[in-house]
Amino acid sequence: MAVEAEKWVHMVTAQTPTNIAVIKYWGKRDETLILPVNDSISVTLDPDHLCTTTTVAVSPSFDRDRMWLNGKEISLSGGRFQSCLREVRSRASDVEDEENGIKIAKKDWEKLHLHIASYNNFPTAAGLASSAAGLACLVFSLAKLMNVKEDQSKLSAIARQGSGSACRSLYGGFVKWIMGKDEDGRDSLAVQLADEKHWDDLVIIIAVVSSRQKETSSTSGMRETVETSLLLKHRAKEIVPKRILKMEEAIKNRDFTSFAQLTCADSNQFHAVCLDTTPPIFYMNDTSHRIISIVEKWNRSEGTPQVAYTFDAGPNAVMIAHDRKAATLLLQRLLFYFPPNSDTDLNNYILGDKSILQDAGLEGIKDVEGLPPPPEIKDGIPSQKYKGDVSYFICTRPGRGPVVLSNKKQALLNPENGLPK
Amino acid sequence: MVGGAEKWVMMVTAQTPTNIAVIKYWGKRDESLILPVNDSISVTLDPDHLCTTTTVAVSPSFERDRMWLNGKEISLSGGRYQNCLREIRSRASDVEDEENGIKIPKKDWDKLHLHIASYNNFPTAAGLASSAAGFACLVFSLAKLMNVKEDQSKLSAIARQGSGSACRSLFGGFVKWIMGRVSSRQKETSSTTGMRETVETSLLLKHRAKEIVPKRILQMEEAIKNRDFTSFAQLACADSNQFHAVCLDTSPPIFYMNDTSHRVISIAEKWNRSEGGRRSHKPLSTSQHRIWLCLYEC
Repeated sequence: MAVEAEKWVHMVTAQTPTNIAVIKYWGKRDETLILPVNDSISVTLDPDHLCTTTTVAVSPSFDRDRMWLNGKEISLSGGRFQSCLREVRSRASDVEDEENGIKIAKKDWEKLHLHIASYNNFPTAAGLASSAAGLACLVFSLAKLMNVKEDQSKLSAIARQGSGSACRSLYGGFVKWIMGKDEDGRDSLAVQLADEKHWDDLVIIIAVVSSRQKETSSTSGMRETVETSLLLKHRAKEIVPKRILKMEEAIKNRDFTSFAQLTCADSNQFHAVCLDTTPPIFYMNDTSHRIISIVEKWNRSEGTPQVAYTFDAGPNAVMIAHDRKAATLLLQRLLFYFPPNSDTDLNNYILGDKSILQDAGLEGIKDVEGLPPPPEIKDGIPSQKYKGDVSYFICTRPGRGPVVLSNKKQALLNPENGLPK
Repeated sequence: MVGGAEKWVMMVTAQTPTNIAVIKYWGKRDESLILPVNDSISVTLDPDHLCTTTTVAVSPSFERDRMWLNGKEISLSGGRYQNCLREIRSRASDVEDEENGIKIPKKDWDKLHLHIASYNNFPTAAGLASSAAGFACLVFSLAKLMNVKEDQSKLSAIARQGSGSACRSLFGGFVKWIMGRVSSRQKETSSTTGMRETVETSLLLKHRAKEIVPKRILQMEEAIKNRDFTSFAQLACADSNQFHAVCLDTSPPIFYMNDTSHRVISIAEKWNRSEGGRRSHKPLSTSQHRIWLCLYEC
């Protein structure tokens, strides 16, 4: 049976995780190809809790490339989108969808147009690595649609041209973005250090301090730092290379003490070089600082670190706890200092893996109000609380890499016309 | 005329300014002598507005050294006070107050006790360099009382042992604290100041002290000499931010600036950029107080 050749729509839906850098990427040596001044290492977060879902569709009936992000149509004319589209298209091969009688020959791809719909289940541009997940998903789903026969690292080099940190979202677990030496950037790509099962005791709690747009974009911020910070050069050349080796060791050996020390130190140093920029860049705010103080105090009172913290280009705190027990004790501390507003349901205040509330013995607001001050606070002075300074928390864990979603219900585009549902 | 020999009191009252560093001192290479890891440069502020006033008194009737700060008696047993008292006392010479018939030969000073009262007309321990002004005033007034025959720079070396930045309050205008020669004998002793933690844990501080500050010191001296406000402002802002950057690069990190400090910086930066040149600059010291120097280019 021949389908009306002009109207068919062929679609793929994929889901990609986001990631959080524990040795930070900040500073490019090439703006167009997005080549960094140092290596970076990240932890991929569980896409069950934080992810980008993207549907890509192709049809002869589409008259131009179009994209919708979180329901709103956006422009694809920017250099980053164009780079990704061009790079994937040039690697397209023959596609056959037997079920629907669709055949696309390799040479046809450059004449066909695409519809793309993408949805983040977390706020865009608020330091929760939405561009990483988004661009990674775009590249991954297009590669599946166009039957691109490259390995994951090669795909990561393409995603890198959309957004640097996107390259690290092509793998689960622990990922390293190798800075590379080649001028054309072909060797600047991501590799997996260990998968998500390697160290699955770790529990991650994110404090979403604000979901407003951040003031300084990462792209312009890091360019200003490269141009004006005398400390950045030293960091990239002398400090990060050693930290990368130590971090790889720490991950391999599941050495949480070293992991935590390196993670906190690198987060702080990243923010230090932002401060050393002209004009200075402040991503952390008073709430971020308070969270750091709470974690630092607790870690010191226990002797060995229980929790690592790290902040990206925004005030949100990502805290990585040694194990479930540490995460539970951490959550109690966080809720003690940052209780929800009186009209907030606890169920809306802790997102992701909500079962941690049960572990912490917290079923409702009354339990939160009844939390005692942490034992490491000795001075007997009533502690100040900061109600409402945290919008919500997300509890998650290290997670897997990108996957194709075969459930048609999860597609974001209508299979009849290729428009957003 | 000889007064009741046991009861006379001889006093000197002095006033000292505070100062704000434009190239920052942060990091010691010797904790007990208070020797810094880099030079620093400061601007002395008008004592009409911010100052320490200190009265020092000596009398055979005093049975021990005592001090009152802003009306409250405080202990003089700490190392910094003891250093200053010892260093000044060892340089005391003969004093004669003809008007009151008081004579103190050099050898008597180490048997006599002191009463000291000091008053800051601005908040203590809020990063407005009250220890700088305070120790400078202590040293200066004691030196006057005891007729110490050292020059101002030598006195600054004594004040330095009370509080590093105090040495810069011994002069008005623009002042440089020279770090001095590094010797292998210098060592750290344990204390819990943030500065020490930065020296021990910040990988960026070493680089700052060795490679960055020396160049900035030279550029700042030029800028001051030539009244070049653009360079002065650029350097002062950059050094303030870098100081806070190395504080952040410490383990555990030190945050001296808060959201309000950041807003003030943003306001100043935006205005500077809109005017093309730099009209105001905002060096920030170790606190939440913002110190603005608004100077206009003519």
